Amino acid sequence: MGAFLELVGVRAGYGGGDILQGLDLSVEEGSLTCIVGPNGAGKSTVLRVVSGLLRPTAGTVQFRGESLAGRSPRAILGRGIVQVPQERSLFPTMTVWENVRLGAFTVHDRSLVAKRMAAVCETFPIVAERRHEPAASLSGGQQKIVEFARALMLDPSLLILDEPSMGLDPKTRSLVFNTVRDMNKAGRTLLLVEQNARSGLGIATHGVVMETGRVRLQGPGQEVLDNPEIGRLYLGATA
Amino acid sequence: MTLVLEAAVLGVLTGGVYALMASGLTLIFGVMRIINVGHGALVVLGAYLSFAASRSLHIDPFLTLVITMPVMFLLGMVLQIVFIRPLKTDREALSVLVTYALALGIEGLLGYFFTANYTQLQAWYDTASFPIGSFRITYVYVFGFALCLAILAVMFLVLYRTTFGASIRATMLNRTAAQLIGIDVDRVSAVAFGIGMATAAAGGVVFGITTAFNPGSHYDLISRLLTIIVLGGLGSLRGAIVAALIMLVSEDITAVLISPVWANFVFFVILVGVLLIRPQGLYGVRVRDRL
Ligand SMILES: Nc1ncnc2c1ncn2[C@@H]1O[C@H](COP(=O)(O)OP(=O)(O)OP(=O)(O)O)[C@@H](O)[C@H]1O
Ligand SMILES: [Mg+2]
Repeated sequence: MGAFLELVGVRAGYGGGDILQGLDLSVEEGSLTCIVGPNGAGKSTVLRVVSGLLRPTAGTVQFRGESLAGRSPRAILGRGIVQVPQERSLFPTMTVWENVRLGAFTVHDRSLVAKRMAAVCETFPIVAERRHEPAASLSGGQQKIVEFARALMLDPSLLILDEPSMGLDPKTRSLVFNTVRDMNKAGRTLLLVEQNARSGLGIATHGVVMETGRVRLQGPGQEVLDNPEIGRLYLGATA
Repeated sequence: MTLVLEAAVLGVLTGGVYALMASGLTLIFGVMRIINVGHGALVVLGAYLSFAASRSLHIDPFLTLVITMPVMFLLGMVLQIVFIRPLKTDREALSVLVTYALALGIEGLLGYFFTANYTQLQAWYDTASFPIGSFRITYVYVFGFALCLAILAVMFLVLYRTTFGASIRATMLNRTAAQLIGIDVDRVSAVAFGIGMATAAAGGVVFGITTAFNPGSHYDLISRLLTIIVLGGLGSLRGAIVAALIMLVSEDITAVLISPVWANFVFFVILVGVLLIRPQGLYGVRVRDRL
């Protein structure tokens, strides 16, 4: 049986040798899968391959049984995979409202856009409250929340979040984690990358540990968290 | 005093033309992160196309824009797809070489078809003038200014009032984020290059009526346009407009107050002064780290 999202033997890089060296990964529908691993392990690179920003040189990427290899970012978006990247990605001089509205850039049905906009405002009140302010005027945590809101404008079947808690203070970080968990509880499939392995795996249903372009271990979130070897290798330092 | 006022007015009017030409250049930079060193040659190409069209069809040079702007727009899309799009790595550095080669290619072709002799576009308004207060202004400067203002207005409307414009701005602000919301940045880039060339065509007409030019005229032009967008802040349309006005007004005023020899000097003092305080230019943002 094919998984929801399945990567097999994926190799990819940026021109100077492969960063991903034959990576196998699967994400089940309805799961919250969390990838952890040291800096430079290639976590963001995996996500870039899935979103079509980077073409794999070998291997297969399948989503709901259909190959994504060689498809444009736009086509992949059209299949319901939306990514919030690691870097801040709001358009800083545009207003919060414009930013969120652009999340539905590929949707041409105005009434659907309005409906989604209303739904997103209900989930994230900040979108309506700060609608006229330029995105750059929000704090880091607020910007992350607005990025989530923008991503939800497409009502994605797979939402990819690359280190959403990066650079946030502890309080905002737990707000972001709660939001992530709530989105999963509401039935959405999430693929999360997290530096802070303990918090990430803590809310995940599935855990994946990556090292130098390969998956070292994967399994239920709690199991990965409890694995003594992995705990000693990766979690001690980052917790 | 009248002289200074006259110089200021003339500076604003010619500044409008430079503002338009520099806007195209800064738009191209903003969307693609490339320095189009060939932009001056594209302006000269526009001037020659209008020259040929007005000669052969016996029409007013400004009227030729109905032909040259669409032609240059399409040519711009083709040039972007053929020469710029293939540059995947080291785009900033390579693009300078590629667009410089483009400039030399255009210069060569124009030399072949039109010779290296100086020409100028002719119209009834190129020397005719009207009085305003105690001095006279040549019509062409007013017409050129009005044209450039109108084109800039259209550009701003498209950028700020249409969905396609929003996708151009989004690409300028964050290319990866734009891709992640489904914007086809390759298509946006091609169109932006087309728009840049269409504005070069419009700038070329005014340039060609007010200045005698030959295929080599682009060297001087590009160095002026580059200093304008550096002063204004790379990628900022507002900056390009303000900086163009500062350049032309300061040059014209210096020329009458001190001497034409010093005209550039004062502008460069302003440029260096601004860059010391704001290295990113008047309206520039520090170029963000790329993916
Ligand atoms: N655009 C790029 N060009 C060249 N090399 C890159 C690029 N992006 C990442 N790399 C390299 O690829 C490797 C993996 O990077 P990646 O961003 O996937 O790591 P990561 O696991 O997400 O790390 P982090 O936890 O720091 O985000 C690193 O060695 C990095 O230097
Ligand atoms: Mg990363």
